[in-house]
Amino acid sequence: MLRMPEPDQHTLARRKDIIAAMKDVIPSPGGVIVDEDQLRPYECDGLMAYRQLPMIVVLPENTGQVAAILKYCHTHKIRVVPRGAGTGLSGGALPMADAITISMMKFNRVLDIDWDNRAAVVQPGVTNLGITRAVEHKGFYYAPDPSSQIACSIGGNIAENSGGVHSLKYGLTTNNVLGVEMVTIEGEILRVGGKGLDQTGYDLLGIITGSEGLLGIVTEVTVRILRKPETARALLLGFNSSEEGGKCVAAIIAAGIIPGGLEMMDAPAIKATEDFVHAGYPLDVEALLLVELDGPQVEVDYLIERVGNIAKDFGAVYSRISETEEERLLFWSGRKNAFPAIGRISPDYMCMDGTIPRVRLAEVLAGMQVLSQRHGLGVANVFHAGDGNLHPLIMFDANKPGDLERAEAFGGDILKLCVEVGGVLSGEHGIGVEKRDLMGEMFTADDMKHQERIKMAFDEDQLLNPGKVFPTLHGCGELKTLHAKAVADKFPTIPRF
Amino acid sequence: MVDVLSPTTPDQLRDAVGWALGSKTPLEVIGSGSKRAFGHAVLADTVLDCSKLSGILFYEPEELVISARVGTPLAEIKAALAEKNQQFHFEPGNFPALLGDDVVPDAGTIGGLVATNMAGSRRIKVGAARDHLLGFEAVSGRAEDFKSGGRVMKNVTGFDLSKLMSGSFGTLGVMHTVNLKVMPCDEQSASILVTCDDPKVANTIMTAAMGSENEVSAAAWISSADVRLLDIPVASEFGGGLVALRVEGPKPSVSWRSEALCTALGQYGETYELAGSYSQRLWQFVADVKPFVCASDKPNMLWRVSVPPASGGAVAERLMDVTGGRVMMDWAGGLIWLQITGSDAMAQQVRDIAGASDGQAVLVRAPAKMREGIAVFHPENPALGRINAKLRQNFDPEGILNPGRLSPPSAIGEGA
Ligand SMILES: Cc1cc2nc3c(=O)[nH]c(=O)nc-3n(C[C@H](O)[C@H](O)[C@H](O)COP(=O)(O)OP(=O)(O)OC[C@H]3O[C@@H](n4cnc5c(N)ncnc54)[C@H](O)[C@@H]3O)c2cc1C
Repeated sequence: MLRMPEPDQHTLARRKDIIAAMKDVIPSPGGVIVDEDQLRPYECDGLMAYRQLPMIVVLPENTGQVAAILKYCHTHKIRVVPRGAGTGLSGGALPMADAITISMMKFNRVLDIDWDNRAAVVQPGVTNLGITRAVEHKGFYYAPDPSSQIACSIGGNIAENSGGVHSLKYGLTTNNVLGVEMVTIEGEILRVGGKGLDQTGYDLLGIITGSEGLLGIVTEVTVRILRKPETARALLLGFNSSEEGGKCVAAIIAAGIIPGGLEMMDAPAIKATEDFVHAGYPLDVEALLLVELDGPQVEVDYLIERVGNIAKDFGAVYSRISETEEERLLFWSGRKNAFPAIGRISPDYMCMDGTIPRVRLAEVLAGMQVLSQRHGLGVANVFHAGDGNLHPLIMFDANKPGDLERAEAFGGDILKLCVEVGGVLSGEHGIGVEKRDLMGEMFTADDMKHQERIKMAFDEDQLLNPGKVFPTLHGCGELKTLHAKAVADKFPTIPRF
Repeated sequence: MVDVLSPTTPDQLRDAVGWALGSKTPLEVIGSGSKRAFGHAVLADTVLDCSKLSGILFYEPEELVISARVGTPLAEIKAALAEKNQQFHFEPGNFPALLGDDVVPDAGTIGGLVATNMAGSRRIKVGAARDHLLGFEAVSGRAEDFKSGGRVMKNVTGFDLSKLMSGSFGTLGVMHTVNLKVMPCDEQSASILVTCDDPKVANTIMTAAMGSENEVSAAAWISSADVRLLDIPVASEFGGGLVALRVEGPKPSVSWRSEALCTALGQYGETYELAGSYSQRLWQFVADVKPFVCASDKPNMLWRVSVPPASGGAVAERLMDVTGGRVMMDWAGGLIWLQITGSDAMAQQVRDIAGASDGQAVLVRAPAKMREGIAVFHPENPALGRINAKLRQNFDPEGILNPGRLSPPSAIGEGA
């Protein structure tokens, strides 16, 4: 069972004072939530297996309020949990009994669109899709497109370094953020990066992106916007085995083609989605590839033909090319609805998120089948095939005693398998609480301590989002101590000149 | 006497740093030393030479990844990539040549490239070394091994230390292994040239091109004085400055986009299409900052001014007016190379102009004496400076790695 830091009794005893102080900072009605029934919606994020009522929830409206709240928390040593839209799948926004959850959803304005610099400045509560909506009338869009884009906030995207189906060609959040305004736990307002491409000093923007709310609260975001490609077309390619599908992916890339989207599904996922949305997927194949090419019409037509030929050479037994925009969207509808489709055939499912070197795909899928039998639970796979990011969907029934635990154990084994073959624990959903205790599979104690030393440079008292990412938090004193074993007193036996 | 430690294995590297830590001996960390003249002189008599930590560990073209020890010569890596028709998408230029003295093409090591976060003209589209570093292994100033990232394309497992290490100039840790993302070379590359003498108009042209659907992968402006140095046939016919825009991709797409750009930009000046090796030669010229390559003993200074791209033209004009220097623009105006001759680097003026446009200025080349007195890197905002100093303190508590490299002696302790 998940172990979280013990609630601080001193803080709990002062709840009334804290509420009063928060109401001073945010006078508008509804800015401070204290009643149990109103706190209830905040008790979990997208990782619904874990729930905890927050001590209180605050909804600040401007940077000054965020700074005042954090300064107060810093002075009084009160823990805080930043929260965006709450769609996170690793429990990053899971509340704590003694912490203030700071919801950033009132920061919902688009502040400035700078067409000439191709940049949009927005508040962190603006949804991912909201940015594209704000710029699409002039033919622009924001490239990283998590499947949750209609709901998730750009602040959450920064915290998780979210990706999407277009990440292979257009990069993750980190490659598309130009700058942020962030408030530190001390209440200091930092501006990091900007519309120019170089930063002074260390790459703090790069470290803040993907830091899961552990370093500060982001209050403004500047992202790069891109011109929408003139057109896009997709191919559906069916294979008799996922190994053949994987080989075809490698061949496409080896031919120098980087598709806008390159997705794969296994037989259980194909069947579930086809039953749900009737996208016209073939049911007699073991693996289905969805390849999207985007760009000028001439380029797309040319590349579609090349990809089609490669697929033929690599044993595709099914091939269909979208002829209209409607058809392209239909192809995607299956993939985009894969999660709810599994939700229809199984009372509950758990979405995992590991990345592997693509060449190991067949081996990992076979290993997953073995694990599936061992744990007695079914699994369906959707897969960002271009960049090796797997999303195994483990099917279980939370009402059956022991099923959740089995699903978690199964999930843990899948991620260990990913690491074993040279992959990683998370491709885009983050560590949060979900994978926290697996960090040791990938990192040594010293690796972890160097990460914690970054945390320490921002938040010495470890008040920001405790219990997330790090399995054990070392005290600052311990992190500062120099290890005697590392200090070689004898002359090193290495070549000298 | 300068003492040189040359570890040949990661274990030896850790021992060397451990010894330095124990004996409180500051180290100057170098790869091949090709960028030694960039930044401040390191306050150390002992050199930690990483060039013997060398060799490609694996290169898997279909997986788009290469892993190498930091001391591997860039030339060796580029040759391996070229054999499979691949490249680093961030196309690092021949930066060492800018620093002067007989430097061979592609001098430098892969570690030095990452540690200085290099990037060429394609940065405007695909980023810098930081965006392509998938993972690394290193020894910190605490003489402890640590790693981050991995070898896969998509990874959010823990903090992204790869970003922190890129551009940290070896002041946080000494990397011994780096994993980088590689990309296929494009089938075709072509350049559209538009005649233009005025940097502000040039900026407008580049902005229009970047905002179009034509996926421009590089946009630069070369002044009339420097166009003469460009060794391509049409250049001499221009008799003026020119904007260069690059499109890359499959053949039919490149032709189509080139034509579209010529049509759209005709209103600004005469347009030409440059294909094949001439186009490549032009971008090599820009990447290498050819007009401003010269021997380091000459009293001339080179600034690298980075601003929001759409302000580049105005900033360039102002820099020329105030300093009397020469400029070349890259990154659609986001990067201005400014060469000043004479005996004054005009640091304050250059920094004020850059700062007024939310930009920054780095003094890339200047006589050693001058570099002692001026902060080479743009002064950081004090709040960020405090965090940077803490990071440095946490990773290298005794300050044994490249002390002084990022800030002049007078400022040590203040910044990172
Ligand atoms: C159906 C579904 C599909 C999904 N598909 C994808 C996908 O394709 N790709 C992908 O990458 N993810 C996906 N996700 C996961 C999730 O949507 C992303 O992680 C998203 O970025 C979370 O944003 P959020 O606003 O909901 O953040 P939350 O869940 O509210 O918070 C996430 C983390 O960010 C922190 N945080 C939030 N706002 C701030 C702020 N302003 N400052 C500092 N820290 C902050 C929180 O503390 C927490 O640690 C999916 C989720 C669902 C439910």
